[in-house]
Amino acid sequence: MKLASGACAAIATAALAGASPAVPHVSLDPNAIGKAPITSWTTFNGDYSGQRYSTLTQIAPANVNQLAQQWVFKITGVGAQRGAPVPVIKCTPLLVDGVIYITIPDHVWALDVRTGSPLWRYDWVDHGGHLVGQRGVGIWRSTVFFLTPDNWLIALNANTGRELWRRNYADARKQYFSTSAPLIVKNHVIVGVGGDAMDMPGFLDSFDPETGDLQWTWWSTPRNGDPALKTWPNEATSDHGGGMTWMPGTYDPELNLLYWPTGNTNPVFAGQGRPGANLWTEAIVALDLDTGKLKWYFQVSPHDTHDFDNTTAPILFDQVVDGKPRKLVAQAARNGFFITLDRVTGKYLVVKPYVPLDYYSGLSQEGEPIPFPDKDPTVGGSINIVNASNWPAPAYNPQTGLVYVNSVEGKAIYYLTDDSKEPSGYGGTGMSIGYSQRVLQAIDPLTGNAVWKHAYPNLNNAPTTVGPSILTTASNLLVTGDDQKNVIIYSADKGDVLWHHEVGANESGGVITYILDGKQYVLFGAGDSLYAWSLPQ
Amino acid sequence: MRHPVVPVMLAMVFALVTTATGQEEPSGGQNTAQHQSMTPEQRAASTRALLGLGPEPDKAAAARGAPLYQKNCAFCHGPQARGATGPSLITSDEVLNDDHGERLTPFLQKGRPESGMPAFATLPLDQLRDISEFLHLQVEEVANRGTYHVLNIVVGNAPKGQAYVAARCMSCHTGDTFAHIGSKFRSAEQLQHEWIWPTRAGSSTRAATATVKTLDGATITGRATQISDFRITLVDSAGQTRVVNLEPGAEVQIKDPLAAHQEMIMTLTNDDMHNVTAYLATLK
Repeated sequence: MKLASGACAAIATAALAGASPAVPHVSLDPNAIGKAPITSWTTFNGDYSGQRYSTLTQIAPANVNQLAQQWVFKITGVGAQRGAPVPVIKCTPLLVDGVIYITIPDHVWALDVRTGSPLWRYDWVDHGGHLVGQRGVGIWRSTVFFLTPDNWLIALNANTGRELWRRNYADARKQYFSTSAPLIVKNHVIVGVGGDAMDMPGFLDSFDPETGDLQWTWWSTPRNGDPALKTWPNEATSDHGGGMTWMPGTYDPELNLLYWPTGNTNPVFAGQGRPGANLWTEAIVALDLDTGKLKWYFQVSPHDTHDFDNTTAPILFDQVVDGKPRKLVAQAARNGFFITLDRVTGKYLVVKPYVPLDYYSGLSQEGEPIPFPDKDPTVGGSINIVNASNWPAPAYNPQTGLVYVNSVEGKAIYYLTDDSKEPSGYGGTGMSIGYSQRVLQAIDPLTGNAVWKHAYPNLNNAPTTVGPSILTTASNLLVTGDDQKNVIIYSADKGDVLWHHEVGANESGGVITYILDGKQYVLFGAGDSLYAWSLPQ
Repeated sequence: MRHPVVPVMLAMVFALVTTATGQEEPSGGQNTAQHQSMTPEQRAASTRALLGLGPEPDKAAAARGAPLYQKNCAFCHGPQARGATGPSLITSDEVLNDDHGERLTPFLQKGRPESGMPAFATLPLDQLRDISEFLHLQVEEVANRGTYHVLNIVVGNAPKGQAYVAARCMSCHTGDTFAHIGSKFRSAEQLQHEWIWPTRAGSSTRAATATVKTLDGATITGRATQISDFRITLVDSAGQTRVVNLEPGAEVQIKDPLAAHQEMIMTLTNDDMHNVTAYLATLK
């Protein structure tokens, strides 16, 4: 790692020398982070709620057919990244003070919002880690925070790209790797981690944005006499139980609670060595922002054996239920269940399948699905659903009151490849069988029922990474895309297709929108290119 | 645009792979067609590169180290180093921070007497290195899922499978469909996959066909190769590829000869699946 330090310091200096003198001055007031996005987009989800909802109305159903491309930024000079022949933008761009920040693994770009021209670029040389994706940066005052595949938190000067400091928080040799966007709240940089090849415990770290000092760590499996240890056979299995935190969570400023989704249990497919519910993997956990202490949890997939990695965004919203205003959180989970909880208490209102599935016998008293043991992976093979959702962001529109998700309906045969008493690693594998289809769904979070669905026709199976992210607006638009390179805008209330346009690749990251010089723009990544669209003058 | 030169990465050569991964792929995508067409060695190497695992273990040295490990270490750490009275070595810092014995051999020579681990100072250095490689191979077999093998999946009851086939399959198929099917595939899991969901590519009888009625009243029929909300591509009876933009109001009808298989997949029980596979495996 010492070697990497020297190399990267040199790179940052070079970037500084290359920076244009016309760089706008970026400085984001911490109190402005997470506010409704209008002229900026300051967090992964735009605000802290995870709704990916914009109040902008300039682009509307009546004029959407006039949308025109304004500029394209194409990533060049990076080459193949291991596992991907061409770079793929899987981040959600941030926009602050006229500068757009985008990432791919090992690289950050600052772009001029008016032209898409690069202002600076930061390159990291990793020493291990998985380059499967990079979800974007976090920003606080004039500092940009970036996570590397080998688990370095890098602080960069937002105006120059110069490195300010770095801190390593997990060992890539243990197969921890990082793809997340840090979530910045007040004076906390919240950092999650991935990596399930080697039975390591998940955790969430909070760092000081100025110094990089560690403020707290929350472990996603219990130890040291914690009562939750009774959901594991012993402390050793808990200590190797997974529960990675690789997607950004959401945050309620009034309750001062973080809502974090936790990933799959380890060993992944072979559950015979870890009887029990295996807390707090496969859950939504509510953590105190300032201490990292657990307030409540809801386990979406108790004793998971299907890599139902519960990392799809928990969306925060308020609705009136039985005449009373309620603070709620909803998730279209990867295990095929739609979940709505009271976000003050964690008690459930709705737990209901949103894709065809037959692997459960009912709900526990707490509302958790009870899977049939017969549906666990076996040596001879066991049929179950493919993941019903994944990391691409869902959305919520307060005007329609609906949650939107790109889901996948399909089945796979799950084989147990390690039938020993103490399996390790994945211990199994899945093979999709039959036809998988992507379906855009608009779900009423108070019933779990779809109000409308749009099945994407495709004679090939839906790609294994589930569809693009979703954005909705106050002008009743829903922006997303299919798996045949079309960007599509629907009406949010009915699901009518209002507009589509074929671009160079499938939409692959988060869609954002903003007002610039009086014009509303829509910005999204597709493959190696970032596209900016707006209405003509 | 000016940006600095990226230093060439040292000591790693990366294959281009599209192997599905745990983090963001549904588990059903674990075995892609590309993945299946690789040799086991290629599969292991590509997954190793994708995951950014450390250096590849020396298998010959590991084989020499196996009996040494079983004799000296297995009592405390278990036969596969996954722990017994002593801790698992799969996730141990000493093992994972070592490449090829440069750190492990001095550690093993000293042991960790304060925690009850004896010193192995009398074992020759090359034997300690072989033990180190054995440990790295145990890590590899856990962490590198490209090395995983499906076990013997023929676990069902063949007569029950025969009864299922007689009751459920013969309205569409004849005995010819199943003749010698047990010897047609490389592996039992491939047989299991193929009888449930036969490969469509390269088969004329399994292709989906489409009839399109466009707004100007034309009807186009052919073998459909792709369809989206906005466009359909088909090959007509003359062998001509036709790309038709689908205006709102255009009608498309698709006939899929595998539709009955898709229906079956949605309700097929594990027992029926195992039984039919066991039966078909006997039809050599």
